[in-house]
Amino acid sequence: MYDFIRGQLIPVAFVIFALGLIFQIIQFFRLTRKKEWGYPPLEIKPEKKTTSKWVAFCLASLNGTLWEIDPLVTIMTSVFHVFLILVPIFLLGHNILLDQSWGLSLWSLPESITDILTIVVLICVAFFLGRRLFLSRVRVITTVYDYLIWVIAAAPFLTGYFAYHQWFNYDTVMTVHILAGEVMLITIPFTKLGHMLFFFFYRFLIGNEYSFAKGARTW
Amino acid sequence: MSDQEMKPVDTKQIKGMLDRKKGKMKRYLSHCAHCSLCAESCFLYMAHHKDPQYMPSYKAIYSLGRLYKKRGKVDRKLLTEIKGIVWRNCVLCGRCYCPIGIHIPSMIAFARTILRSQDVYPQLDEVSSESWL
Repeated sequence: MYDFIRGQLIPVAFVIFALGLIFQIIQFFRLTRKKEWGYPPLEIKPEKKTTSKWVAFCLASLNGTLWEIDPLVTIMTSVFHVFLILVPIFLLGHNILLDQSWGLSLWSLPESITDILTIVVLICVAFFLGRRLFLSRVRVITTVYDYLIWVIAAAPFLTGYFAYHQWFNYDTVMTVHILAGEVMLITIPFTKLGHMLFFFFYRFLIGNEYSFAKGARTW
Repeated sequence: MSDQEMKPVDTKQIKGMLDRKKGKMKRYLSHCAHCSLCAESCFLYMAHHKDPQYMPSYKAIYSLGRLYKKRGKVDRKLLTEIKGIVWRNCVLCGRCYCPIGIHIPSMIAFARTILRSQDVYPQLDEVSSESWL
């Protein structure tokens, strides 16, 4: 079992992750079609702005957004999502493993930095759990499934932190860490973790009032 | 008892309607992170002293979400319950903002369409304990 988790299951998880996402992308493009414009899209020529005007414009554009309404959650969620992706990719230990198996690796962050960033991710994760447990507006739409997703997202970082500091039985913690990572990869395309990909599709490709881009597609 | 309340629910028709938009709607429902960040964008939520049942996500989950969960096998009692959520608690102004990009008004509008197909909608002479707006 240990060998399976630390061996064959790793490529299987990556393949399911990649194929699952490809399947979801194909499905998305089959379900949506190119938007037919009934009128030419409004094109406004950007006026030349000085730096101070540009900064003032950026600050003004935050009015009424989540940055103004709930800055704490916005900062926590932004930090969490950025580091959730960056930490595992630029972790020295992961890159050494990549180098040993495939002979290639990415640039790595110093271990002291990734250690701190892992704590930051764990603080964010604890914050989200606190919201789910104690904020009535979040609790009212929370199900067991949400807690399960929370565990799937938190487990790789918690076990990774334990493994790095060699707390508890190293071998067991490492196996659980690898398993947690595999479970996360496998579940991303098929659960609400899929918003990792669909956030970009919904906000950039589907055209509506809150799109970041023009939005060239429609359902 | 009015004709509206007597008519049996055509669960097959509901299932058919749900299936037709399954690709879009189930995707939206399954990608909702249940974060509640859409709450403040709803003026009814703000006007009702931040009552969670006016949150856009709550309205989508407890209307269309329930219809999908039950795969259309619903009774008139549930449809009447959903009626209050999609008509009284939402005016479909389209101002709800989801950070992930889920288009909540289309979900509420679709729930209304399903309810209307079963003749469940607010009547002009309906007596309600509270205002519909």
